[in-house]
Amino acid sequence: MVIIGENIHVIAQAVSTAIRERNAKVIQDLTKAQTEAGADYIDLNVGPMKKDTEETMQWLVSTVQGVTDLPLSIDTMNPVAMEAGLKACRKRPLLNSASGKSGSKEQMLPLAKRYNCDVVISVMTDKGMPPDVDSKIESIMDTVTHANELGIPNEDIWVDPILLPVSTAGEGQRFAVANLDFIKILGDVLPGVKSTVGLSNTSNGVPDELRPLINRTYLVMLGRNGLYSAIADPLDKELMSLARGEMPEIVGLIYKAMDGEDMNLSALSQKQVEYVKTARVLKAETLYSNAWLES
Amino acid sequence: MDYKAPVEAYTGVVREVTIGKGNKSLKIGGENILPLHFFDQGSNPNPVKFALEVLDMKPEDWPEHAVEPFKDVISDPVAWAKKCQGFGVDAVSLFLMSTDPAVKNAPADKAAELARKVAEAINLPLIVYGSGDEKKDVEVLSKVAEVCDGMNLLIGPVLKENYEAVGKAILDHGHTAIAQSPLDINLLKELNVKLSKVFPPDRIVIDPLSSALGYGMEYSFSLIERVKQIGVITKDSMTMMPIIANLGGECWKTKQAKENKKQGLLWEGMTALSLLLAGANILVLRHPETLKLIKETIGAR
Repeated sequence: MVIIGENIHVIAQAVSTAIRERNAKVIQDLTKAQTEAGADYIDLNVGPMKKDTEETMQWLVSTVQGVTDLPLSIDTMNPVAMEAGLKACRKRPLLNSASGKSGSKEQMLPLAKRYNCDVVISVMTDKGMPPDVDSKIESIMDTVTHANELGIPNEDIWVDPILLPVSTAGEGQRFAVANLDFIKILGDVLPGVKSTVGLSNTSNGVPDELRPLINRTYLVMLGRNGLYSAIADPLDKELMSLARGEMPEIVGLIYKAMDGEDMNLSALSQKQVEYVKTARVLKAETLYSNAWLES
Repeated sequence: MDYKAPVEAYTGVVREVTIGKGNKSLKIGGENILPLHFFDQGSNPNPVKFALEVLDMKPEDWPEHAVEPFKDVISDPVAWAKKCQGFGVDAVSLFLMSTDPAVKNAPADKAAELARKVAEAINLPLIVYGSGDEKKDVEVLSKVAEVCDGMNLLIGPVLKENYEAVGKAILDHGHTAIAQSPLDINLLKELNVKLSKVFPPDRIVIDPLSSALGYGMEYSFSLIERVKQIGVITKDSMTMMPIIANLGGECWKTKQAKENKKQGLLWEGMTALSLLLAGANILVLRHPETLKLIKETIGAR
């Protein structure tokens, strides 16, 4: 599993302050920590970037590249910032992200061709977020066809089904299941494409101390269905161990839960039970509540 | 080829909850089918029950046509409760509005004494709702539980903010609890999980909040429907509790119900009928003519 380190993200107050004040140390410390933790890419999520766009992007990319050899994922909706970022990259970057929205098709996808980079394409279109698996597939096939026509091959495309919080009442678990299904069939409908997800979004709204458990479990489940990469927190050691296949027992239990196998929970350790219960929530076998581990 | 209608059989059974004691008791829940799915395998041993509201103080914002059936007893909750019995209800629901710090901030012991008097005066089980003020209710509902020791009243609302204290008092004095959460199935389950750690789940009734027609009733409908499906079909222990739809007050707050009597009765009636179809096990209504209308509609005696 390719892990794109998510920690340089403007929603984090420390990051947005560091970018504004050109504080290289904060950014470089985060870069080094993620690199040492084993990330495969460093994501630079800079938000909309309203002013000094090009100069800021150049500073950020060169600051990060000063302390890592990893390739970068340039994460912005602003095409000017995107181009400045891509231009400054030493290694073949990841354009994160384009979508089926007409603005994105016109401004972002051509950049992927021009700079010969990999590109994340989400299932979003002008009509918004497709609500179910069939409409997600339909949307992404349209957008990928468009990208192919621009000369971007499937192998350079990383499809993002867009993860939503599992804690959203009524809908969240349905989305979690739909995205598991989507990843499972993606390779059949678009041979050669890769895939990625914004993993941590799944655990938005979940109590802070329980978020990693949702992220880790869902990563294993998506991985089994063929997920290629995830934008995630490489500083979560257990997540990285799972992603590298270093915890086969836990992975095996999650697979069993996915298959609906009966398990004798009293024979398992507390940690194992927590993974099993979490997998059952993420496949919508049991109804989510913040107290899902307690029942 | 003969057509054979498909028949479903589910494994989940909604807990059967008893409220009241002896000949003043009734059972709600206990079904292992979805609402009105009498064609499936299974049964609902306790068809939907009805309660009428009684307030502990003279209501200030009721339209005349809502006051009218009780105008001779409107300032006397005990007499009011007794009068409800004449309208063919299964239970009476006493609302301790006056204890609300924003209303009269009436003391807990006075409210508890009234609850005891009402419970003793009627031949039916009593439901007692506090004001919903999460802090004051700890005091009020605990006192009600204590003063009415052993009468197995149905007491609420027990909220996520006060479930430990209120739940303990309800349990210690032999009553049944109404667990209330704000129109969200995840929060509803969370409260039931937490409450069940200190309280027996077979003495919990779910109040999901019942919104009136035109004011979000669809949310209540979908939520009640979903709670039933998850309980009966997927056998989730923490949603397998009967449901109380406390809708009278919500309906009669609306402009439409206040405008004129016929509209008010239909407003309350349509809301009640909808939530009944969704799967509510006991409905709390305000107007006795709505009760009559609903009973006629569903063919109950």
